[in-house]
Amino acid sequence: MNIYSLLRELAKLTKSQNLFIATKEISSIRLFRNTFNFSQLQEIYLNYLYIYDIIMKDIITDKISKHVIDNEIYTDAYMLWRKENKYKEDTKLSKKRDLHLVVGREIKFPKRG
Amino acid sequence: MDERLEQAKKIVEEMEKESSLSKVEEMVKDNKITFEYKEKSYRVRLLNLKEKEELDQLRRKKFGQLIQDKDILLEADLIKVLKTRNIDIEEINSDIKKLDAEDLDIQLKLGDAIHKDDGETIFKRYEEQIKEIRLKKAILSTRKTLLLEFSLENQLLNYVSQIITYLSLDIQNEDKTWQRMFKTLEDFQIYEDEDLINRAGQYSMLLQYS
Repeated sequence: MNIYSLLRELAKLTKSQNLFIATKEISSIRLFRNTFNFSQLQEIYLNYLYIYDIIMKDIITDKISKHVIDNEIYTDAYMLWRKENKYKEDTKLSKKRDLHLVVGREIKFPKRG
Repeated sequence: MDERLEQAKKIVEEMEKESSLSKVEEMVKDNKITFEYKEKSYRVRLLNLKEKEELDQLRRKKFGQLIQDKDILLEADLIKVLKTRNIDIEEINSDIKKLDAEDLDIQLKLGDAIHKDDGETIFKRYEEQIKEIRLKKAILSTRKTLLLEFSLENQLLNYVSQIITYLSLDIQNEDKTWQRMFKTLEDFQIYEDEDLINRAGQYSMLLQYS
């Protein structure tokens, strides 16, 4: 197992995920001994913690099968698809919202006076 | 008997995994990596500002030396020479790009299949395709790396990794304080224990930004 697979395994552990969630809610709890100057390894680990947090939430809410978490290729493919789709959804939503701001036949401003 | 052997193998594998996980957990806790070697404690750490300046100075000096050496070619010149021998690096780059695009496309299909819960058979089919593409890409990348190994840029990169190891390796004193392992670059260059240097080099590359 290479170091990056081991980092993934570590990030998946319940204790790591619990700590990750706790650090977001309680400022006195820390993930690392250092609070700045993160190493490349720490940055990669943070990224995996974030990925597996999302994957676990999607498993709990029955969006995906629990087997996704056991396979690195499935995990990465799903995260890529999710990102791509979220971007499309966000763009669609913002276009819809923007339409309301355009003055046209549908939007009539009240006359003054 | 076979079943017991299989179980024993599984237990050993689990133990090895747990031990590796503990080591990685220790490595990630801090922005320094501490390790034991021949009953002494060493650590590698991120470079401070002064050391970064020293690294930059040594890199510039080395670049000046390399550029004057007529036997060492810049990557672009080496690519031209290779082309005269019918080895086309641009073609390898283009093939790698195509494989990257294919990889991305199949990953998105697999992601969609996972979202729709299309089933393990379909997931496995995409997974095999991705593995095959990555294997092809790894073969091309290795070929490219070997062909360009002696370019000026790569020699400079190798030198920089060595300097980072030289600057970032500390040894623990008996009173538990730490000090730089090598006082001068020459001390580092003539040091005989390559195993220690290699190990420190691997760890230090995990810490620093590339």
